[in-house]
Amino acid sequence: MSEAIVGRRSFLKALAAGVSATLGLRLVARASASETGESSPHRWGMVIDQTKCIGCGYCTLACRATNDVSPDISWNRVIEAGNYGGEPVYLPRPCMHCEHAPCVEVCPVQATYHRPDGIVMMDYDRCIGCRYCEVACPYGARAFNWEAFDGPNPEVPRWGEPEVDRRPRGVVEKCTFCYQRIDRGLELGLHPGRDPQATPACVVVCPTKARVFGDLNDPESEVSQLLRRYPAYRLREDLGTGPQVYYLPTRKEEVAG
Amino acid sequence: MRAWGRKVKLNIFHVWVTGLAAVMLAGAVAGVVVFTRGLVVTNLTDLVPWGLWITIDLSAIAMSAGAFLLCAAVYLLDLKRYQPIARTATFIGLIGYSMAVLTLLLDIGRPDRFWHPMVFWNPHSVLWEITMCVTLYLTVLTLESAPILGSAAWFQGRWPRVATTLQNIHQYAPYLAIAGLGLSLLHQSSLGAAYGVLKARPIWYRPDLSVLFIVSAMAGGPALTVLSSMLAGRLSTRVHINDALLEKVSGLIGWVLMGYLYLRFWDALSMTYTYSPGRTEGLRLLTQGPLSFNFWVGEIILGIIVPMIVLLRPSLRRVPVLRMIALLMIIGGVAAYRWDTNLAGQLIVLTYLPQEIVARYTDYVPSLIETLAGAGVIAYGLMAFTLGARYLNVVDHQEVLEAHALPQLATSAAD
Repeated sequence: MSEAIVGRRSFLKALAAGVSATLGLRLVARASASETGESSPHRWGMVIDQTKCIGCGYCTLACRATNDVSPDISWNRVIEAGNYGGEPVYLPRPCMHCEHAPCVEVCPVQATYHRPDGIVMMDYDRCIGCRYCEVACPYGARAFNWEAFDGPNPEVPRWGEPEVDRRPRGVVEKCTFCYQRIDRGLELGLHPGRDPQATPACVVVCPTKARVFGDLNDPESEVSQLLRRYPAYRLREDLGTGPQVYYLPTRKEEVAG
Repeated sequence: MRAWGRKVKLNIFHVWVTGLAAVMLAGAVAGVVVFTRGLVVTNLTDLVPWGLWITIDLSAIAMSAGAFLLCAAVYLLDLKRYQPIARTATFIGLIGYSMAVLTLLLDIGRPDRFWHPMVFWNPHSVLWEITMCVTLYLTVLTLESAPILGSAAWFQGRWPRVATTLQNIHQYAPYLAIAGLGLSLLHQSSLGAAYGVLKARPIWYRPDLSVLFIVSAMAGGPALTVLSSMLAGRLSTRVHINDALLEKVSGLIGWVLMGYLYLRFWDALSMTYTYSPGRTEGLRLLTQGPLSFNFWVGEIILGIIVPMIVLLRPSLRRVPVLRMIALLMIIGGVAAYRWDTNLAGQLIVLTYLPQEIVARYTDYVPSLIETLAGAGVIAYGLMAFTLGARYLNVVDHQEVLEAHALPQLATSAAD
């Protein structure tokens, strides 16, 4: 019986140890957050004007070439979403780069994380391929490399040249807002969203200028101006994910014009 | 039968072990195919990224729950007479957790990075916490099982000093039981929470899942422990079981089932009020759609109600065959629950289009390679238990009880 009492006492001790360990973890998490949390003046976002999108799918192809994506995978998908005034309406869907990204929260190894400028990034060297992020993403924006992508990329060179490494088999990949173009552009003193070399490939290739990219923190950027001028919506706002991709719904006057 | 000039008597043990070895071999071949060709050999897709292997993983963990429950009963509640069953349960837990590790290695895209969660922490992730629990509890189970190996006669004969060291670990049993209780409660519930925290999947997004996972495991785990003990007792002359004790545990499992049924009822009923996109379709999929047979027959009628009646009525549960069938049904029901839960959230694909939150349906049937690899893991579990029962005395209910009284007397006294 005395053994049982010791047992209970030890249990309480263990419980206390557990609680303090949890608190310790929170501190560790906070410390690491502030370590990497050097702030950025930018918050990158995209505005997609559905009045202008004609569903050509060039964005998907330019993305595949620039980011060396397999033909089986679309980082950026164009979906037919009903019709307006007899005309089909399209909805291009990149990664939403959510402010409160479910994928970032569930990843067991922090292989997917927020950059200070809001881009949701993947660390392909860290990803273990558990696919929890895929299950958690409400937008179907993530794709798993079920097999290795070998051989030539059919979209190269017609739609662009690869700018990033091809991902290995067994990891999850997704749209990065062409971070490589943004980073290199900023180094060269360019203006992402205005200068094509510093702007995501899907935006540059769009023949109707339906996609606009820019800094949501800059009130003078085109994205900020558009969002001031037109009513916009985001996908599944009810989930509280806070997407950084905004859509301008189809407007009558421009369809007629 | 004659072989190598010697008379060999083929018995059920040889046939069983040979059959299991064959399935294990097929599973190993399938595993090699998975590791060389990648997960493209499965029928998993970006819409249904988790399938059969996750179900086996979740079920193996649930079936291991006998270990922490019985160890807590013996070492924390001081119910010493259950000690021999705790020993069996611990061994089964060790097997179950190692099965889970095997299926996880198959399932992750980069098995070479299995150690990443140990180094790259994301304390926000339920899956990170699950990985830590698996690792820590596997360590606890190994320590708890060490005395089993240390007390095997053939091991003592060969390595007497190692055997003594291993046996000495037993003095830490109460501490290990505390660690096991904490880790298991956390881990079993977290497996449900891994689904339950996902807002993108409305049929999963509810706090009940973590509760239902732990409670169903509290029925399934001991059920497997009791069933394997009874089967071993019938099939082997080397195994000694104390049926009165097993019957008592079975009665308790019946009560757990009643609590589980109660929770399942309110959980399901609460989802039937008003239309909720995705959730309502998910519930329909379970109760009227392609998963409805699994749900009603596998999970509810044969998985809970029938075995609950058998195990709660002393006249029925005293009949060993009836009790064994009831226990088998519970195990099937818990596995069916894991399978259905995993699929119900994924077969419904909720669109993200504006003003059109429509659910679409997809499907999933495991591929041959997935099935073979999964069968191989299960065969490994059965083989490990069989060998444990034969060479490590994991089912031996006489050992400790002899100190108190003769097992047969104890049986009649308990009646």
